[in-house]
Amino acid sequence: MSIFEYNGSALVAMVGKNCFAIASDRRLGVQLQTIATDFKRISKIHDKLFIGLSGLATDAQTLYQRLVFRHKLYQLREERDMKPETFASLVSAILYEKRFGPYFTQPVIAGLGDDDKPFICTMDAIGAKELAKDFVVAGTASESLYGACEAMFKPDMEAEELFETISQALLSSVDRDCLSGWGGHVYVVTPTEVKERILKGRMD
Amino acid sequence: MTKSLDVPPKGGFSFDLCRRNDMLEKKGLKAPTYLKTGTTIVGLVFKDGIILGADTRATEGPIVADKNCEKIHYMAPNIYCCGAGTAADTEAVTDMVSSQLQLHRYHTGRESRVVTALTLLKRHLFNYQGHVSAALVLGGVDITGPHLHTIYPHGSTDTLPFATMGSGSLAAMSVFESKYQENLTREQGVKLVVEAICAGIFNDLGSGSNVDVCVITKGNKEYLRNHLTPNPRTFVNPKGFTFSKKTEVLSTKIIPLKEKVEVIEGDAMEE
Amino acid sequence: MGDSQYSFSLTTFSPSGKLVQIEHALTAVGSGQTSLGIKAANGVVIATEKKLPSILVDEASVQKIQLLTPNIGVVYSGMGPDFRVLVRKSRKQAEQYHRLYKEPIPVTQLVREVAAVMQEFTQSGGVRPFGVSLLVAGFDDNGPQLYQVDPSGSYFSWKASAMGKNVSNAKTFLEKRYTDDMELDDAVHTAILTLKEGFEGQISAKNIEIGIIGEDKKFRVLTPAEIDDYLGEVE
Repeated sequence: MSIFEYNGSALVAMVGKNCFAIASDRRLGVQLQTIATDFKRISKIHDKLFIGLSGLATDAQTLYQRLVFRHKLYQLREERDMKPETFASLVSAILYEKRFGPYFTQPVIAGLGDDDKPFICTMDAIGAKELAKDFVVAGTASESLYGACEAMFKPDMEAEELFETISQALLSSVDRDCLSGWGGHVYVVTPTEVKERILKGRMD
Repeated sequence: MTKSLDVPPKGGFSFDLCRRNDMLEKKGLKAPTYLKTGTTIVGLVFKDGIILGADTRATEGPIVADKNCEKIHYMAPNIYCCGAGTAADTEAVTDMVSSQLQLHRYHTGRESRVVTALTLLKRHLFNYQGHVSAALVLGGVDITGPHLHTIYPHGSTDTLPFATMGSGSLAAMSVFESKYQENLTREQGVKLVVEAICAGIFNDLGSGSNVDVCVITKGNKEYLRNHLTPNPRTFVNPKGFTFSKKTEVLSTKIIPLKEKVEVIEGDAMEE
Repeated sequence: MGDSQYSFSLTTFSPSGKLVQIEHALTAVGSGQTSLGIKAANGVVIATEKKLPSILVDEASVQKIQLLTPNIGVVYSGMGPDFRVLVRKSRKQAEQYHRLYKEPIPVTQLVREVAAVMQEFTQSGGVRPFGVSLLVAGFDDNGPQLYQVDPSGSYFSWKASAMGKNVSNAKTFLEKRYTDDMELDDAVHTAILTLKEGFEGQISAKNIEIGIIGEDKKFRVLTPAEIDDYLGEVE
C-alpha cells in the first residue's frame, strides 16, 4: 500500500468568475478503519487564501504548522498578506528542501490575488508546481475526481453554481473511493465573503 | 538564532525525515511516485542560432496530471533549457542555476555563456550522483556563437548539432536523423522541431498535448508558448452539466470579509 | 588609536554611551566623496562625485553606482572596498528572496537586510564597522523609494538626502530646491546643481555618476553622453 493511502483523503479546488471553491472529504482513517468523521484538511492562511493538505495526516499537520509560522513571519516583516502565487512558491520551496526525505503530503492551494483574480495550484510531495486554469485535485480519490471535474466543470461559474458543481464532483468521486468520504467540507470564497458549508454524504 | 526555531532555509537539502521514511517503507508502506514529465524535448542548431522544443504533458504514473505545463525553462536572457525527468528536480535545478548566472552577470557585467550554465548544471547533477533526476537540453547563443548541449541526470554532457531527450526522444530523433541538415532557415528549423515534438506527442504515451518552441538568435529570443495545439478538447457538452437535485447541506457558515482599513491621516504620537 | 581608552573594542560603550568606532566610521563617510539622492513624483535619482586620485586612472573602469536588482540601485560615500562587500551580500540576499518567493524583493526588505548586515558588523568579534553610508534607490509596488543606510545599521526613508564631504551644504541646498511634485527630469537637474554647489574644479560627465529609475521600474546608470545632455540643460 502506498503511504498516501494510509489515512485516505479527497481534495479539489475550482475556479469560478472572480471566486474560487476548495473542498475536501471529512474522513480520517487508519488504513481501512475509520478514526474520525469530522476531520479538517483545509485550513485558512489568510482571509482569501486556503490550503488543503492530502496524504499522510501527521505530515499534513506538521507542514501546516510550519507554513502558518512562515506566513506569520512574512506578515510581520512585510506588513502585508502573501499573494497566492507567492505562497505557492514558498510551499514548493519548503517541500523541495526535503527532496530526499519528503513530507508525504500533496497540497492544494487556492486563493484570490490582486484585483480578486482567482488562483489555484497543486504540487506533488516534493514541490513540483502544477498550475491550472480550471480545477486541481489531490488525494486517494484523485482519479475519480479528475473524471468528475473534467465532465462537470465549465468556465466562469458564479459562486452558487460553483458550489453545486464542486460539491457534486466531490460527493460522486468519494463514493467510488473506499478511503475517503463521510460528507464534505466546502469553502466558496468571493471578494466579499467566505461561505463554509458541511455536506451530507454516504456513511459507508 | 537556535536551529529548532524553523528559520527560513539558507539552501541545501534537509534529511530530517529520511530515517522515519525508511522505517515506514520497511513496514511495507510504499513511497509515493513524483510528478514526472514523461516528455519529448528537443533542440537543434540552425543558421542563425538555436531552436528548442517541448511537449506539455506532465504525468503521475499513468495519470495525466497537467495537460499544459511548461518545460522550457529560463536560464538567462540568451539561454533557455528544456527539462525532462522528475518535474520538481528540473524546475529546481534550472531555477538555481539561473540565479547563479544572474549573480555572475552582475559581477562580470557581461552576457552569460552557455558553457557556464552547462558547467554549473553538470556539477550539481554529478554531485548528487543521479539522485537529482533531471535530463536537460540546454541551448543558447553567446559571444562565441550558438551552442546546444544535452545533460544526463548523472552529470555527463554532450555537445551536438541536434538533440532529443525524454521518453519520446527516440520518436523525435527518428525525425531529426532523417531530415536534419546544416544551415536550416528559421522556418525550416521551427517546422522540423514541431515535427519532432509531434512525433513524440503521437507515438510516445508519456508525451502529449501541445508544442512549445523557443527560438534564440544573437541578441534576440522568441518564446512561442503553445506554438501548435494539435490536441484540442473534444466532447464538450454545449449545454453544460445540470444537477437534478440540490446538494444536501448540513450547515452553512458565512464569514463576511472586511474591507482593508487604510489609515490616511493620524495624529503623531505624543513625545 | 590613542585618542580614547574606549576604542580598543567595538563592543565597549564609552561612559557617555557612545560606540566610538561607529563614530569613526561616520567620520570616514563624512570625508568621502559627496553622494546624493532625490525622490521625485515618478522616480528616483541618485548621483555622486567620481574624483579619481590621478588623471592616469581609466575613469571608465570605475563604477560607483551599482545595481542590486533590476529595480534597485545603490551608491555610497566612504570606502570603496567596503561598498563592494555590501553590494555582493545584498545581491545574494535579493536573489535568495527571489528564489524563495518567485517575486522581486521589495525595496524595504532589501534595505532591512543590508542594514542587518551592517549592524552585525558593529557587534561581532574580529570585524570592524563598514566605512560607508549607502543611498538605495528603488521603485516597486509601493512607488519610488529612497533610503539611506549608515554604518551603525540604522536606516531612514528620505525625500532627498546627501552624504559625504559636503553634506550640510548639499542638504541645505536640497531643502531649498525640493518640491513634492518634482518630475524625474527636474530631480536630475537638481541633483546636478547640488553636486555643482560644492564641486572643486570643473564638473563634467567624466567626474560624476548618475543613476535613475522611473516608472518602467528599470534602474540604470546614465552614460557620459546622457550626463552631458543634462549638464547642457542646467547651464
